[in-house]
Amino acid sequence: MKLSSHEEGGVMILEPKGKIMGGPDATVLHDQLHDFIGQGKKKVVIDLSKVEWMNSTGLGILISGLTTLRHNGGDLKLARVTEKIESLLTITKLITVFENYDNVEDAIKSFS
Amino acid sequence: MAGENKNSVSITVPSGPEQVSVVDEFLENHLRERKISDDIIADLAIAVTELVNNAIKHGNKNRVEKKVIVCIVFQNNKVEISITDEGDGFDPETIPDPVAEENLLKEIGRGVFIVNSLMDSVEYSFPSGGGTRVAVTKKIV
Repeated sequence: MKLSSHEEGGVMILEPKGKIMGGPDATVLHDQLHDFIGQGKKKVVIDLSKVEWMNSTGLGILISGLTTLRHNGGDLKLARVTEKIESLLTITKLITVFENYDNVEDAIKSFS
Repeated sequence: MAGENKNSVSITVPSGPEQVSVVDEFLENHLRERKISDDIIADLAIAVTELVNNAIKHGNKNRVEKKVIVCIVFQNNKVEISITDEGDGFDPETIPDPVAEENLLKEIGRGVFIVNSLMDSVEYSFPSGGGTRVAVTKKIV
């Protein structure tokens, strides 16, 4: 998995690319989310359009980011979720936990 | 270490977290050779990486000298994949329900549930010499 990020209107946008399956790769996303929190950046959107698939390790990282951000007065929202990942979110009922937007712009606007 | 004959291939890896992606690459390469659809490949890759993660972390307790064996057997219209570790075994019935309201925000505990959801069959066995063997099947046509 590769990871890039940028800021738009005070919201951090994370763009993972590839597969999130566990192992050393997965810690990169976890660490980046927790670095944002440490820097006081508490509004985060993860653009999942370039993630081929993820397993429960990836879902656990999303949950960890979500709960930590919410406990610190922020939030984590998802954008451009692929069909495969949406199916996993549905199976695990996490679709009821995450706010999920069709595009990054709408996800950013939802913070205002 | 990899082995193969016409309809089956296998790989044996030590119990290190970096081995999950090694197994995934091995699996996906063999599935693509058989012209299996991307959707089915993704389901199999998700399930197998879940089970290899479990075998390394919970079965072999990340002890690098302990091995995980992944065997892929192609049959007429399905593939069977087994994952065998050298751990102490476990009772899959004791895993808490990850979609219960009180467990929804837990970071772990979804792997076996996801495997059961994506595969056509999942069977656990516990060889007399120790370890856990999980065999999953999925239709590929």
